[in-house]
Amino acid sequence: MSTSAPPHVAHFAMTSEADQLARMRSWLWTQLVGQALPLEDCSAFLVAVGEICNNVIKHAYSGEAGRPIAITLSVFPDRFVVHVDDEGAPYDPRGYTPPDLDAVPESGMGLFLVRSSVDEVTFDSTRPRGTRWTLVKYCARRTDSPPA
Amino acid sequence: MDIDVKDMGKVTIVAPHGDVDMAVADDVRLRLTNLVDRGRACLILDLGAVMYIDSSGLGALVAAMKHARAAGGDIKVCALESDVRSLFEMTRLTTVMSMHATRQEAIAAWG
Repeated sequence: MSTSAPPHVAHFAMTSEADQLARMRSWLWTQLVGQALPLEDCSAFLVAVGEICNNVIKHAYSGEAGRPIAITLSVFPDRFVVHVDDEGAPYDPRGYTPPDLDAVPESGMGLFLVRSSVDEVTFDSTRPRGTRWTLVKYCARRTDSPPA
Repeated sequence: MDIDVKDMGKVTIVAPHGDVDMAVADDVRLRLTNLVDRGRACLILDLGAVMYIDSSGLGALVAAMKHARAAGGDIKVCALESDVRSLFEMTRLTTVMSMHATRQEAIAAWG
């Protein structure tokens, strides 16, 4: 993976109310389409980032409103990277059980959808506060992509 | 959330408009389960005007489907946009729920 600086970085700030999610999706969609990511990859990224934000609202902040969620999109020539930062309870992977899809679950599918939608999912919960999620999608940008 | 509801004989057609995400999932589930509780358990869910759904929305539909089946009915889903269909496929709901390309096909499937 290249460590060179990304040619395009964009930031978005929201708070931990579910009705903020549509605003986040609108921002992210505009950014991704503007960077010539193929539409089906835009949709997949939208799903993944949306599910991470859902988890932050539901678990890191336990539904408490008004708490910060920061999203950063970095566009490299070969990949799109999104960081989602919160200041809530650190993510504990010991609490995660993959969903049993044969049992037709009513919940617990969020992280499964994240992992199914992007190429890499990592988290850092060793920070002083909260968790940083990192989502990566490798892709060939459209040939009519705008100049960096 | 804006949800059109229309009775056609024994069948009730439910058509949400907009994103079915965490913000509205409980509302959608309640609207569907309330219909079942009022005796309208033969449902068609037309998702043609839904461009985005998340795991909360899918969970709401699964809960409503189980509720309808427990009452002797079901939810037949129709008119999925491609992005929404992808999530149904990813979670294998296409193998569990009754899926139809159009509202007309779903109506015909109720007989």
